[in-house]
Amino acid sequence: MVKRLAAAIIVCVALSARAQPRPSFAALPGAAAAISLPASMLDEKAIRKQLNSGLTTVFLMIARERGTRNAGAARVEIRYDLWDEVWIVRKIEVDKRIEQQRLASFDALAKWWKNPVRLFVSDGGNVVLDVELRVLPFSAAEERDAREWISKSGGVAATGGGGGIVDALIGTTITARPITTYRWSVELTLK
Amino acid sequence: MTRAASAAAILLIVVAATALFYVVVHQVSGLWLDVALRPEVRAALEKSLGDQKRLRSFDPEQSEAYRLRFEETRKLINRIDVIRLNRAAMLRRFDLTLVAVFALVMAIGGTTVWHRSRRAEEQRRREYVARFAAWQEAARRHAHEIKTPLTAARLEVDRLVSLTHASAPMTDVQRAAESVFEELDRLARFTREFSSFAAVAAPVLRSEELNHLVAEFCTTFANAWPELVLRFTKSAPSMAMVDRDMLRQVLANLCTNSAKAGAKNVTFAVSGAAIDVTDDGAGIPESIRPRIFDPYITTRKIGEGMGLGLAISRKILLDHGGDLTLVDTSASGTTFRLALHT
Repeated sequence: MVKRLAAAIIVCVALSARAQPRPSFAALPGAAAAISLPASMLDEKAIRKQLNSGLTTVFLMIARERGTRNAGAARVEIRYDLWDEVWIVRKIEVDKRIEQQRLASFDALAKWWKNPVRLFVSDGGNVVLDVELRVLPFSAAEERDAREWISKSGGVAATGGGGGIVDALIGTTITARPITTYRWSVELTLK
Repeated sequence: MTRAASAAAILLIVVAATALFYVVVHQVSGLWLDVALRPEVRAALEKSLGDQKRLRSFDPEQSEAYRLRFEETRKLINRIDVIRLNRAAMLRRFDLTLVAVFALVMAIGGTTVWHRSRRAEEQRRREYVARFAAWQEAARRHAHEIKTPLTAARLEVDRLVSLTHASAPMTDVQRAAESVFEELDRLARFTREFSSFAAVAAPVLRSEELNHLVAEFCTTFANAWPELVLRFTKSAPSMAMVDRDMLRQVLANLCTNSAKAGAKNVTFAVSGAAIDVTDDGAGIPESIRPRIFDPYITTRKIGEGMGLGLAISRKILLDHGGDLTLVDTSASGTTFRLALHT
């Protein structure tokens, strides 16, 4: 009985380990740490569904240096433009460098996706980074637009005289909650 | 019910009503949001997107216009998708907001009701205490009114017995017998006063000219109160529906009070369907003014009246469809108004 239970636990751990896509990390010149995300991540069911929704899928990456208060962040935004049928991507790295592109196909997107993203900069030396990737279902602009729509128009609720206040209250609940979150740790020597 | 029990009952009602309200609101709010987020709505909008794109290929010159419409529709779909992703949180906030408002309103309402019932309870207690004091005063007066003539009569009867046994002269026996009758008369008067209070007869109303009625009263009762001068100046004729005898009784009661308050003059004035009766007596003490029409309220000493006159008088005026009110009172006199029906 105990052996069976242990085996089941091992299988579960193995499956979950396999389910967690593992990115690669690299130390770049300028004492920067970069992350390269695997293309398989875009094929994750929840993420693929979100990418096809027409909303902007936001990949927010936060790196915290273990034992210190140092941190860095980067963001990748992907939206499928239904009119031109292209992928519009935007990358904002830790040093505020912005890259924006229109990619003609999903394959092109997958290729671009694997490019390293600079997400942490330090003074150099050995660092242990705890990296968190949050996948948000829509951008801040889309969140704001939906809030305003609800608050101004009464949205979907016809609540009478006090409707404006109620709608505004409801509107403020609209926030991008992560559809999935990944966490990794990595040790790098930054120069 | 104690204060704690009534507060607990109100709290229980508020909680129960809020819980019930939450259940109802939860059902209703879920319904409206689900109606707005129906998949058919999104499907129709998506179809519209496809249509705009197809139209572009048919009519390239209008491509920009189609694109604008396409973008508007896309934004709408995006908003619906954003709301769908936040559905649970929105419903929770909506429900909690309404429930909080409802609970607040219920709590305020409950607290108000509770305070009102407490105030009413306090008022009832105060009134009862005041009434109880009046009853005690009445009981003292009853005891005095009955005990005094009874004691006197008993003493006289004892004397009568001893006189009879001693074969005293007839004049002494007669004097003792008269004294007994005097005390018995006093008891009878006391009983009559009560009888008239217990059963104030219904007035038989007739149309009367008030000046004539008051003048007649002043003439008839001119010598009823030796220390009092009744004054009346005739004014414009005024008709009112009155029971002549009962109105006389009211005027007589007021004059009796005036005489006992040390007044020297009582003036009558007719104005429309009202008669003002003013005296120059000592006035009514402020402490009893609000209750002067209540039975047993009097400033007189025990043995000098039961305090029923004004209560009976007001009842008579009310039965006339009018009222008896205290218009003014001070150290220099008092005015009562008899309001009647024309």
